[in-house]
Amino acid sequence: MNIKDFIAPFAVWKRAFEKPFTVRKPIDERPGAPRYRGFHINDAKACVGCGSCEAICMNQAIDLVPVAGLPAKEGDSGLRPRVDYGRCCWCALCVDICPSGSLGMSNEYVWVDADPEVFRYTPGVEAKPWDKSELGYRRAEGYRLLDGQRVAMPELDHQAAVQSFLELVRGYSRQQAEREADRCVACGLCVASCPAHMDIPGYIKAVRDGQLDEGLNLLYETNPFPEACGRICTHRCEAACSIGAGTGADGEPADPVAIRWLKRYIADQVELADYGRALPRAEPDSGRRVAVVGAGPGGLAAAYYLRLQGHAVTVLEKDEAGGGMLRYGIPEYRLPYPALDKDIAWIQSLGVDIRYGTAVGVDLSLADLAASHDAVYLSTGLPAPYRLDVPGDDHPRVLDGVAVLAAATRGQSLGLGKTVAVVGGGNVAMDAARTALRAGCAVDILYRRREADMPADPDEIREAKAEGARLVEKAIPLEVKAIPLEVKAIPGDPAGALVAWNEARMVQKEDGQRPVPEPIPGAVHEDRYDSIIAAIGQGPDLAFVAESDGIEIRRFKPVVASDGRTSRATIFAGGDLTNERKDAISAIADGHRAALAMDRLLRAKGN
Amino acid sequence: MKELITSLANRYGVRDWKDLKAGQAACFVDSGRLRDCLRWLRDEAGYAHLSFATAIDQLERGVFTLTYALRNHERGHSLLVHSEIDRTRPVVDSIHRLWAQAWTYQREMKEWYGIDFPGSPRVDEEFVLEGWQGPPMMRRDFDSLAYSDATYAERPGRASSDPAEHMKRELYPEEQA
Repeated sequence: MNIKDFIAPFAVWKRAFEKPFTVRKPIDERPGAPRYRGFHINDAKACVGCGSCEAICMNQAIDLVPVAGLPAKEGDSGLRPRVDYGRCCWCALCVDICPSGSLGMSNEYVWVDADPEVFRYTPGVEAKPWDKSELGYRRAEGYRLLDGQRVAMPELDHQAAVQSFLELVRGYSRQQAEREADRCVACGLCVASCPAHMDIPGYIKAVRDGQLDEGLNLLYETNPFPEACGRICTHRCEAACSIGAGTGADGEPADPVAIRWLKRYIADQVELADYGRALPRAEPDSGRRVAVVGAGPGGLAAAYYLRLQGHAVTVLEKDEAGGGMLRYGIPEYRLPYPALDKDIAWIQSLGVDIRYGTAVGVDLSLADLAASHDAVYLSTGLPAPYRLDVPGDDHPRVLDGVAVLAAATRGQSLGLGKTVAVVGGGNVAMDAARTALRAGCAVDILYRRREADMPADPDEIREAKAEGARLVEKAIPLEVKAIPLEVKAIPGDPAGALVAWNEARMVQKEDGQRPVPEPIPGAVHEDRYDSIIAAIGQGPDLAFVAESDGIEIRRFKPVVASDGRTSRATIFAGGDLTNERKDAISAIADGHRAALAMDRLLRAKGN
Repeated sequence: MKELITSLANRYGVRDWKDLKAGQAACFVDSGRLRDCLRWLRDEAGYAHLSFATAIDQLERGVFTLTYALRNHERGHSLLVHSEIDRTRPVVDSIHRLWAQAWTYQREMKEWYGIDFPGSPRVDEEFVLEGWQGPPMMRRDFDSLAYSDATYAERPGRASSDPAEHMKRELYPEEQA
């Protein structure tokens, strides 16, 4: 070693106070590119917890976890995706698939922590600095892995439809059904919304796989009316469908999967003669006897599931055919009778005995029935129409909507005249209006609130209007008056009546409540109609229940437990008679639940 | 331009010429004539600049598509030259003697897709994946889940819920299926 070697390291010191040639570039300012795929963000309010992100993640980096303060509700599982950054490969497929469009990625990519557990987190729930990041990866406009548009259903056009009672909706072909079934991501959000909790993802998969016997079997596990429900169900499942939670490629709200039409497709495709191949037969006879009052969907559903368990079931029906409101309250252009007959025929084929033209309370008493059977199910529905409750509502030209529909079912002459006013905004009102249109009448629908408030199915409202009914919103009926004699005396003039109604405006009386129609002083109209159809709802008729039957009745309804049991241990009740939803699928669900409870009761008795 | 298309077709069997947008076109050449074709484009047709080179895994058709982006600065025109090689024998001529920087792209393609460019400098060295043991990870049949499971330990404490089951527990637990 010489002296030079010793001094050399100090030589660099002579530059110590010179301006450096390098440019200072702080490393804390390196933002990701505008569309960089950085840490996830999630709009937890828009997310519906369907788990499509979890399903598509090729590294199993996503779990669905419950979140405090986000309870499960219709159309939202309450679960939210949790990302494990030990596994995520930043491919962004989760963002691309997300049906609600809630998931995105910020362009933030630096996150340092000594605790490895923090890198597993729930975006949008656990606050992060990048939550509000405008930049980062989002699904490109117009780019969708899921098809937001449902396969169009072939329908009669409205001009042709109104000429006849031919079925409006023609049903999917195999190709159409399989394509529509392909839109389902099988998240199962719909199942909770269905009153019968049908295995919807299961039967949609059966459609996709072409396994229709398997599909039919799944339908009948919870619903013995697939032909009817495949046409007229209130399809709450579709409101919950995650595919309808976001927007399609065109930016318009995406269509939910056509669950109802797919159910119909399965039932339509399997011939009644082949049902036996797919469906279970009844268990051997149990020796127990059950009576069901009312052959509507609820009563017959109870009968079906009781019969499957081997019990002898007798159904008593006051009318001349089964189906209840499905037959007498729904016109055949929505539910053709052969489809309903097919559902009922399969139930009968198991050995369910239906006695038509037998009215409990008239032909025999409930006490007799209870004495001669081990259990009784009451499913008598809501047969008593509400009156208009205005002066003159007993005028002979004021008709009851359900009675008009029943007369149409029976092929009787309706005698409506040429001009008809339908009062009401529910499905019965729409059906009565459309039936009157088919009878060649000019139809006005008078409804006291706005179209948006109408309880009828939006499809029905749309179709009624398309077929030519005139909707008069915010119209409060005041009085029905006889036509003065001097006017009526014109020869050949049909009998009619005058309807006085008051224009209303919507007033928000209490916050959080829905607005109330309030008459506008002086804005009273008087219109002449040949017939006025009142369709403002129906109530129960419990005249057949005697006090000595021991059934507690409160507010005109039998009091029932969640399984349908009344205050009398062997008598159960359900359907429109007891539930609030008042639709076929809820009645069917009630019937199924009660059948299971009655079966437990009967088996306990047997031991 | 027509002249160029004809020359390429006659000399190297170039086909499928497509004008993508103003100033950009694409064409296809068989892999056996690829290097000669690129050399001619560089020396005779003015496409002197190689912008980049990359590959696409066409798993369904069993081929890799190679893409070389050339630029003619005088005419302001870009040309994407596509070629295809068998996925089971992914070897193609190196072009590092035509454009010196090509060796970087070729080393990248070797690491990511397993495409070999014999003679290309440092082609077998690691590019960005330090210590990578698995198969080429940009191949579309690379199973990232199987690779992760085999390579890394699972951290305990993960659990997931099925939406339908969770909703049943929360909303209607009393009802039988």
